Amino acid sequence: MKGHQLQTNHNFRTRMAPVMPSLSILLGPALIVVGVLFGGGLILGILQSFGYLHVAAANHLSIQHYLNVLMDPDFLESLWLTLYIATASTLIAAGLSVAVALFLVTLAHKNRLIHFIIQIPLTVPHLVIAVAAVFMLSPTGLLSRFAMALGLINTSSQFPLLINDRWGIGIILTYVWKEIPFITVMILSVLSNTGIELLQVGQTLKANRWQRFRYITLPIIFPSLGAASLIVFAYTFGAFEVPYLLGQTYPMMLSVWAYRNYSDIDLLARPEGITTGILIAVIVSLTVLMAQVITKITRRKGIVL
Amino acid sequence: MGSLKIRNLSLSYNGGAPVIEKFNLDVSDGECMGLLGPSGVGKTTILKALAGLIQPDQGCILIDDVDVTALPPEKRDAVMVFQKPLLFPFMNVAQNIGFGLRMRKINGAHKQSEINNILRLTRLDGFGRHKVHELSGGQQQRVSLARALILRPAILLLDEPLSNLDANLRQEMRELIQEIQTKTNITTIFVTHDQSEALMMSQRVSLILDGRLRQVGRPQDLFYRPVDPDVARFFGGCNFFTGEIKNGQFETPLGLFPVGQDLKKNQPYTATIRPEDIVISPANDKHLRGAILRTNFEGAATRLWVQCNGVQLIVLAAGAQYKAHQNVSLHIPPDKIRLFPKNV
Ligand SMILES: Nc1ncnc2c1ncn2[C@@H]1O[C@H](COP(=O)(O)OP(=O)(O)OP(=O)(O)O)[C@@H](O)[C@H]1O
Ligand SMILES: [Mg+2]
Repeated sequence: MKGHQLQTNHNFRTRMAPVMPSLSILLGPALIVVGVLFGGGLILGILQSFGYLHVAAANHLSIQHYLNVLMDPDFLESLWLTLYIATASTLIAAGLSVAVALFLVTLAHKNRLIHFIIQIPLTVPHLVIAVAAVFMLSPTGLLSRFAMALGLINTSSQFPLLINDRWGIGIILTYVWKEIPFITVMILSVLSNTGIELLQVGQTLKANRWQRFRYITLPIIFPSLGAASLIVFAYTFGAFEVPYLLGQTYPMMLSVWAYRNYSDIDLLARPEGITTGILIAVIVSLTVLMAQVITKITRRKGIVL
Repeated sequence: MGSLKIRNLSLSYNGGAPVIEKFNLDVSDGECMGLLGPSGVGKTTILKALAGLIQPDQGCILIDDVDVTALPPEKRDAVMVFQKPLLFPFMNVAQNIGFGLRMRKINGAHKQSEINNILRLTRLDGFGRHKVHELSGGQQQRVSLARALILRPAILLLDEPLSNLDANLRQEMRELIQEIQTKTNITTIFVTHDQSEALMMSQRVSLILDGRLRQVGRPQDLFYRPVDPDVARFFGGCNFFTGEIKNGQFETPLGLFPVGQDLKKNQPYTATIRPEDIVISPANDKHLRGAILRTNFEGAATRLWVQCNGVQLIVLAAGAQYKAHQNVSLHIPPDKIRLFPKNV
C-alpha cells in the first residue's frame, strides 16, 4: 500500500511537471508585482521594526521597538481585545455554520434557492457590511428607529450600544454574518460528499440522532471546520476596516492601533506601529500555517477534506 | 430468529413515479434469499425500505410478525451492508467493526472478544489496528460485512457487496459469505444483478423485472422453469420460436414435438430452449439440418449462430471444432422445451 501511494505520487509529479514552467511564466508578471509590492513592503517593515529607519540615519539594528511595544499596556489591551473579538466571532460563526450546514444537507439538492441565499454574504465586501452595520445598529440607525416606532424605547439613547461599544458587538456581528457562508460551504462539501452515506450507515448500525452527530458528523467535519475556523480567526485577527469603522476609541483592535501609531504626528510612535503590524503578520501566518498542518495531517490519515 | 414478510410494498422517490409497485415477499428464518434484477430496477430501493432508510408509499414490512414499517432504522433489527464499503475513515478497522456495539453502549472485554470473533470469522485476524485506507477493496468489503455481523441482526441486508471486486476475489468472497451465512444462520437478503451469483448464493431467488416481482423460487426453478419469456431471457434464454398445438403435438418450423403439458388446441405458443440444451453434430441425415452463420469462442464453450428452417438459433457447443458456413445437424430434446402462451 505504501509503495503504491509513492508510485501514484510519483506519477502525479511527472504528469504535472511539463505544466509547471509554463504556469510560472504565465503568472510571472503578476508574481513580480505582488512580490515587489508586498514582499518589498514586508522587508522594509521588518527592517524598520528593527530600528533601521532609513539609509541616511544609519541606526544600528535592535529589538528595542519590540520591547517597547510588548511592554506597552495599551498594546496588551489591544491584544486582548483583538483575541477576544477574533475568538468570539470565530466560535459563534463556527457554531452557527455547523447548524446551517446540517440543515442544508437535509434539503439535499432540492432547494437551490436557499443554497444561493446562504452564499450571498461571500460576495459582499467587508466594508459594505460594516457600513450597513452602522446604518442598522447605531443608536440612530434603522433598528433603533424601528424599536422607537414600536414603542419599545422612547429615545434613541435607550437603544443598547451595538457599535463602537465595549464588547465589540457590531464587529463580531459583522464578521459572523460574513464568515458563516465561508465555513458552511467548507463543511457542506464534506458532508454532502460522503457524509450522507456514512450517516445512513450509522443509522442502520443503530446510532441514534445524537450519536450520529457526535460519532459521525463531528469527526467528518472536524478537519474542514478546524481549518476554516483558523482561517477565519487569522482573517479577523488582522482585519482593519471593520474595527476601524465599528470599534470604540479605546482600546482599539491591534490593526487599528498599529495604524494610529503609524500615522501619529509623533514620529517616534511610527516604528512601533510598524512593529505591531509585523507582530500581527506573524500571528496570522502562524494560524494559517496551523490550518495547513491540520489539512496535511488529516489527508495523510486518509480523510479527504 | 428473523422471518421477514413484505406486504404490498410500493416505493417512490419524492413523490415521483413508483419505482417498485405492490411488492410481496416472504423470507423464512435463516434463509438466504437472492434479490435479482437488472440494474436500476429498484433493488437498492427495496433494501433501503427494509432497513428503514426510505418510507414506503404503501404496504408494510413485518420482522418476526411485528410490523416495523413506522420504525426508524436504528430501532429495527435489520442491518444493511452497502454496495460500497463506506467505512468510517476516521476509525481503524477494529473501531469500525465495534461501532454498532459502541452505539449500544457495550464496552470493555465483551466488546473486544466480539470484535476478535468477527475478525476471525471474516478472515481479518491481525488487521484490527490497521487504518481503513490501508486495506484492499476486498478487505474493506469484509470489514463492512463484519461491522454488520457483529450486531447479530435478525435480518442481514446485503446490497451487491461483491460488485466492486475482481472476478477471483468475488468468488472467494461468495464462498466466505456462504460459509458465514451457514455458520451464523442469519436471515439474509442478498441483492445482485448477476444471475449466476444469485443462483449460486441463494436458497431461493426473487426476480424483479420492471418494478414487479416476476418469479420466486429455488434457483433451479427459475433457471429451468421460467414463468414467462422475460424470465427465460434474463437467465440467458435466447432461442424463441412459435408454433401451434395440433393433435397433441406442438407444430413448429423446427418440427413436431410431443407435449406433456395440458395446453389449449389451435392457439399460438412461444417455445424456448436453452442454448446449451440443443445437441449439435456435424451434418448427418437423421436430424434437423442447419448452417452456421457465425461463431464466437467463449472459452469453456463456443457460441454458434445457426440458421435452421428460417429460424435463427443460438447453440453453445463444447470445444471449438465448428466453423462459420459449416452445415450441421441439430437435435432439440422435447423435454427441454418450455412453452408459454403467446402474447403474454
Ligand atoms: N435518491 C434517488 N432519487 C430519485 N430517484 C432515485 C434515487 N435513487 C434511485 N433512484 C431511481 O430509482 C430507480 C431504482 O434505483 P435503485 O438504486 O434501487 O436500483 P438498483 O436495482 O439498485 O440498481 P443497481 O443494480 O444499478 O444498483 C432508478 O431508476 C433510479 O434512477
Ligand atoms: Mg443498487
